Amino acid sequence: MSNRTLPRLLQTPAVVLLLIWMLVPLSMTLYFSFIRYVLNNLRRPEWTTPSISNWRGFGNYEFVLNSKDFLFAIQNSLFIVGSILFLTVILGVLIAVLINKAFPGRGLVRVLLISPFFVMPAVNAVLWINMILDPVLGLQGLAVNGINDLIDGLRATPGVGWFFSLWPELKPISFRATQTSAIAVIIMVTWQWTPFAVLIFMTSLQSEDQQQKEAAILDGAGVWSQFRFLTLPHLGRPIAIVVMIQAIFHLSLYAEIEIVSRGNGNKNLPYLIGEFANNNIGAASATGIFAVILANIVAIFLLRMIGKTLME
Amino acid sequence: MAIVAQSSKYGRVSRASFAWIVGLLFFFPIFWLVLTSFKTDADAVKPEFLFFFTPTLDNYLNMTQNYDYWRFATNSVITSVFATLFTLAVGIPAAYAMAFNPAKRTKDILMWMLSTKMLPAAAVLYPMTFLTKSMGLFDTHFLIILVLSLINLPIVVWMLFTYFKEIPKEIIEAGQMDGVNTWGEIKEILIPLAWGGIASTALLCFIFCWNEAYWTVRLTTTDAATLSKLIEGNRAPEGLFFGRLSAVSAAAVGPIVVLGWFCQKQLVQGLTFGAVK
Repeated sequence: MSNRTLPRLLQTPAVVLLLIWMLVPLSMTLYFSFIRYVLNNLRRPEWTTPSISNWRGFGNYEFVLNSKDFLFAIQNSLFIVGSILFLTVILGVLIAVLINKAFPGRGLVRVLLISPFFVMPAVNAVLWINMILDPVLGLQGLAVNGINDLIDGLRATPGVGWFFSLWPELKPISFRATQTSAIAVIIMVTWQWTPFAVLIFMTSLQSEDQQQKEAAILDGAGVWSQFRFLTLPHLGRPIAIVVMIQAIFHLSLYAEIEIVSRGNGNKNLPYLIGEFANNNIGAASATGIFAVILANIVAIFLLRMIGKTLME
Repeated sequence: MAIVAQSSKYGRVSRASFAWIVGLLFFFPIFWLVLTSFKTDADAVKPEFLFFFTPTLDNYLNMTQNYDYWRFATNSVITSVFATLFTLAVGIPAAYAMAFNPAKRTKDILMWMLSTKMLPAAAVLYPMTFLTKSMGLFDTHFLIILVLSLINLPIVVWMLFTYFKEIPKEIIEAGQMDGVNTWGEIKEILIPLAWGGIASTALLCFIFCWNEAYWTVRLTTTDAATLSKLIEGNRAPEGLFFGRLSAVSAAAVGPIVVLGWFCQKQLVQGLTFGAVK
């Protein structure tokens, strides 16, 4: 058996590297979260260097919990992640079922559909917020103007003009306010991640029991009941996996928030940490520990599911 | 029966057209980006030139002048390529050890590796800035390569592990009988057999490195800044520069989207860690 020792040792570099990568920064975050540590403070210069003598106990955690931004950031994180999950799963299931059966050009449609997933997040955000959603120069603005012009023209038409004069003037929506920019983020991330859900649901649909389906059709089951009682239960596990993988990715959503919402109040946990980290490192670290706890709750469920598959 | 057949044919046609509409809708923003990149900045915001305009290559030709595109692109290529190579160099031996010489704890180690991936990056933002600055690594290629490697190592080990597991153990053991050493096993037997799997893992790892947008933005300023940083820095052009911004964006995502088409199947395995088949 001793000749198996070397091969087993081959996993050491990977394990050691990841161990350092995980433990060193995280233990520093943990340490900073318990001390007073700010980057600039003229009155208390001793706080600007990390030291155990600046021990603050759970003071940073209290400070973070009491700041109104924290509660808002958590709420907003959950609102953004929840909405994205809801939309991607619904759209993903519908589209996967739609393109599961062969039709002319199916391969090409698949390629078109998957493309958004490979767009880098920064480009995704810049493209949507400027060129598509901008209320004046983006496609939204142009479309609203076009429709208004059209209605204006129809108002002048004799006979039907009175009808169109009852129509209101459309107003474009600005996606740069606190609440609307959260919606802009939801739109752009949903666009990017629906393809991922489609791809996974399609892979899973390929392994659906066709004989069972044929038997159901012979028994007179309609399209809806086939979907409800055969397809949906079959997709249960992939849906759970899509939900959890996305939850982990989107809880740490950053580039989109940074680009769309900088300075307008729309923030999530990672963004709040970035804000705190401009000066109050203690508070940033305490927020970081909260983020770790939140991510771990999701991760435990996911790891259990994947662990089961590995056993098979 | 005839009615059923007829209606199902009608259903098939409408289903196919609907599928096409959905596909085109999802692709439209990318199409729009590419289309706008061929307009001048002035034309890009005029409704009369929405679809019909005089195409120009100026935005692409002036990319260096307007954005210093090539410097950022070179950084993206360097960091992504070396990070991918380094990840494979560490990941292949690890996955080999786990797939062919599993110990009791192998499953736990794999799970633990995955759990490091789930740690929110923002939680360690300041320690990372602090450490890298004090070690003089901030804004260096070396740092970005290392960080990108570590981020992707768990996924790469997992993907390779699932590929390697499918290779019959007997083939590797036959090599041992012939007196091939461990290095020989990997080089002569494993890598040729699993070449397809390794290539698609590398491709996916490269894509993830290229698109990474947290550390590449927060741990660089100029020297090692990648395309993510370039785009992030020009996020609010206020409509003045749609044309040139589109060109630089299209140049940043175009090659990756095309690469992505070739590894969509592996994507499922890579991102669900083999849990969906």
